[in-house]
Amino acid sequence: MSMTVETGIDEARRSAAISAAMRPVPEADILSFLYLESRLADEGRYTEWESLWAEDAVYRVPMHPDDDPRTTLAYINDNRRRIKSRVAQLNTGNRHSQTPPSVMRRVLSNSEVVAITDDTVTVESNFALFEYRVRQRFWAGRVIHTVRRSNDGGLRLVGKVVHLIDAGGPVDTLAFLI
Amino acid sequence: MTTVETPAPVDEFDVSAMVRPDRVHGSVYTSPEIFRREMDTIFKTGWVYVAHESEVIERGDYLTRMIGHDPVVVARGRDGMVRVLLNRCTHRANKLCNAEKGNANAFRCPYHGWTFANTGALQGVPMRQAYGEAFEQVRSELGLAAAPRVDSYGGFVFASLAAEGVSLPEHLGKATHAIDRLLNLSPTRRIDLRANWMKHMHHANWKMVVENNVDGYHALFTHASVYDAIRPAKVSHVPTKVDVLVRDIGNGHSEIDYSNEYRKLDEEFVWYGRIPRAQLPEYVGALERAYGPEQAHDALVVGPPHTLIWPNLFLAEMNVMFVEPQAVDRTIAYTTAVLIPGQDKLNERTLRRAEGAMGPAGFLIADDGEIGMRNQAGLAAELPEWLVLSRGMSTDVIDDTGIINTDKSAETPQRGFYSRWAAVVGGKA
Repeated sequence: MSMTVETGIDEARRSAAISAAMRPVPEADILSFLYLESRLADEGRYTEWESLWAEDAVYRVPMHPDDDPRTTLAYINDNRRRIKSRVAQLNTGNRHSQTPPSVMRRVLSNSEVVAITDDTVTVESNFALFEYRVRQRFWAGRVIHTVRRSNDGGLRLVGKVVHLIDAGGPVDTLAFLI
Repeated sequence: MTTVETPAPVDEFDVSAMVRPDRVHGSVYTSPEIFRREMDTIFKTGWVYVAHESEVIERGDYLTRMIGHDPVVVARGRDGMVRVLLNRCTHRANKLCNAEKGNANAFRCPYHGWTFANTGALQGVPMRQAYGEAFEQVRSELGLAAAPRVDSYGGFVFASLAAEGVSLPEHLGKATHAIDRLLNLSPTRRIDLRANWMKHMHHANWKMVVENNVDGYHALFTHASVYDAIRPAKVSHVPTKVDVLVRDIGNGHSEIDYSNEYRKLDEEFVWYGRIPRAQLPEYVGALERAYGPEQAHDALVVGPPHTLIWPNLFLAEMNVMFVEPQAVDRTIAYTTAVLIPGQDKLNERTLRRAEGAMGPAGFLIADDGEIGMRNQAGLAAELPEWLVLSRGMSTDVIDDTGIINTDKSAETPQRGFYSRWAAVVGGKA
């Protein structure tokens, strides 16, 4: 089979298509905010982690990417009030499944801006989380953060949706902040 | 049925070395041989929960599950009948259906292209001439193997891999009341279990997972963090303060029953976060139209069951859980929310409540999973040899509902479970 001879027009189309598929990387302060969120979760600094959240928060770990929360269950589907409860339970020190807490470090990478509104930016990233408790486990997937920038420049977390690569299979106890 | 005065010893297995009326030997949770025997007895000879009718509502709907060791396809055939087919190509044993669920007229084996109708009949064999004149015989012999008995109650589909044995109604016995109690909360007497199953890996023996579900003793301790941090329990967990029963229903079924306490309170939705009925007018209205105000009120007062149906199904109030034993120390718990057809507002609330309590991140079950894992770790110490289950033994009372104990912390459900276990596992494998 002979090679297709690409014309200049084809090349220009190809370049345009690639550029269109590329997504911007987040601004430095947004990325810093995401790293802070990761660090507080990793270090079990529950109350500080909770303080990042806006009032209209959604924290979800769905079973399937396209699930509709109105008709299906998720592993985690917290509003602000339930985030507060989750943190309060962890803070008792008596949440057996996190007593002692998991030792964790997560890597957040490949962060891309996928949506921008007047006051929010939505960033998708890959993550790998290494957890040690009794034995070492790893968790991985795609995480979608939505961050709101207020008038005073402050940042708040509005949404965090975690698509685990193994969400379709049996999942180990997940009592830490993923 | 024939009666035999004393069962002839079928092999070397001596069940009295494992279960006594007030205790169970640690090895039942740790021995791979006993696990294997459980698969060959409990899951090969008796009725096992496999699916709910709402999951295979249309012709062609199917899903894949396990019955003990055996992978099965639960399929509603083109003829409308629900079958439980062994998930193995009858030719060279390739696993036939590899999807979790779907809708299909036929299943085609990817190895040599054999095709089976969703009734189990062998439909097509590529290059059939190699069988010569024997082909018709091969085709009629090699339909999919199927569970010889499939039956349902209230939409819950059970299968038995044994051709002979007690009927499903005999097996369920008085546990049908628990299913009825759940269906009383639906204006149509139907429920829908299609909100997706949470799959939670428990690093514990399957019996630890199920017997904990009807343990009325642990909540104050295992779940203290919920009551301390978030809200007090719906009613007190201190046995002397509440009119709550534990019950050995018979045949291995057992439950924790709050209905006396709830009827005494005469308050609706205590079991549902004490939501006022005015917040669910459509649902309450539909229930009253279906059953009349009095019966609807009673259903809303007593709420759903908290009942274990031997061996693998747990009616967890507005959730349903079933377990899949994977190995002696590994069990998958499947959990979903009970949806009531047509009641979207109620259902959304039920879903959010299920997410809060159940599954790997649930405020309750994550800690049950942890405790189960530590149980399994503790059993590595082989002394004391026995786990004593004698709480409340001297206060058990027999009535027409089973063996009851008004001390919620009594181990009556566990004694019932192991009495059944001894009868089944001690029988012929």
